[in-house]
Amino acid sequence: MDGMAQWLFLAYFVLMLATLVWKTPVISGPWLFLLRAFFPNWKFFHAVGYAPRLYARTVAHVPGAQRVWGSWTLIYPRRTRHWWHLFHNPDTNLGLAQQNLVHHLGTDINALPDGGDPGSLVTYGMVCNLVAHSMQAQFPGCSHFQFELRMELEATQHTVDAQTMLTSPVLPCP
Amino acid sequence: MPLNAAARGLELLFGLSFLLQTLEHLRMDRAMAPGGLWPWHLQRRDVPNRYVRALLDQIFAPQVLHAQLLLRVVAVVVLVVQGSSLALVLFLFISQVLMLLRWRGAFNGGSDFMTLIVLTGMLIAQCMAQAGDPELGWRAGLWYISLQTVTSYFMSGWVKLLQPQWRNGEALVVFLNGAIYGPLPARHLLSRPLLARAAAWAFIVWECSFPLVFVGPLTALFFCATAVVFHFLVFWFFGLNRFFWAWLATFPAILGCASQGLL
Repeated sequence: MDGMAQWLFLAYFVLMLATLVWKTPVISGPWLFLLRAFFPNWKFFHAVGYAPRLYARTVAHVPGAQRVWGSWTLIYPRRTRHWWHLFHNPDTNLGLAQQNLVHHLGTDINALPDGGDPGSLVTYGMVCNLVAHSMQAQFPGCSHFQFELRMELEATQHTVDAQTMLTSPVLPCP
Repeated sequence: MPLNAAARGLELLFGLSFLLQTLEHLRMDRAMAPGGLWPWHLQRRDVPNRYVRALLDQIFAPQVLHAQLLLRVVAVVVLVVQGSSLALVLFLFISQVLMLLRWRGAFNGGSDFMTLIVLTGMLIAQCMAQAGDPELGWRAGLWYISLQTVTSYFMSGWVKLLQPQWRNGEALVVFLNGAIYGPLPARHLLSRPLLARAAAWAFIVWECSFPLVFVGPLTALFFCATAVVFHFLVFWFFGLNRFFWAWLATFPAILGCASQGLL
């Protein structure tokens, strides 16, 4: 390789560094979102901040009685580690995809115009479906459920702050 | 590492990585079914064009999707046994893009992106081979993959370096506590602030200095060997097994390019 290649190599990484400090307008759109794999930004686990967490509660079906809600339960994927997960780990990866979906719902709600209806979002419908499945698995006799999207700020030992971003209407269990 | 050995190593490791991904997708048939966790009928409104949406309705019908995944398994086996060809790589590339669309652009984030990069590099190699220069094709493809891989570590390191909570080690503990296999046990070594800070700095310095991989074959071997340990730890704590294989598949490209010399 000649000196020119080395200078190009150096210039490339300097440019990459510049993109981290030089803020440019964010280009977005449905196709860009769906094809974002073609434009990776490689910013993994980069910043600690408010992260969306999904909570849900159910009411048991008691004919003729008033609704008695259970307590709010965090819907968050936790799995038991096995060495063979290195080769085959569909359940964990599905859990990670679900948590990404919750993040995308948070982003979509933030991007809604004032007075926009979260119910119109694709992510809202998908999260409703996720909560319905989760509640059905945890509370087989439930008649209705409700979920909340909360933004939580974590420190090393505990949650520092939490704000409710969205409370769903009461929905029937499937 | 000679260019042809790097190309063959890439095909073998990528074949393994893609096979593992495909077998996982096959196990998720129930999640992708109409009554499952991730049904297409809820997600299809994401696609803004109605003609594309109608086409994808056909492609993502459960039986068609299943058949496509089975065909992918066959194609990967052919890749491992016989090596790549333009038709084979083109099929795998299109199949990967379709799976990305099925999962709203990404199923597993960075590992999907890296998988697409390797396929793009292989596609560059095959297109140039069709044009009459397979050696130049593989050289271009392997350099494309190497540069993207090195960029992934470099950007990931520098973005952490710019964050005070990474520099003091807090971010590492917060992310580990939120991990799918977490939280960290109270008596875990990384729960000690000094050790968490030391570990965070070790990752940051190592990732930021990754472009030095092109200094020569021995340096490349050192960085790739430590990267194997790094990705294993990422799998161990975060469950990201696909990252392990997706990045491992790129190491023959890095070793091949480092052997050609640049710095």
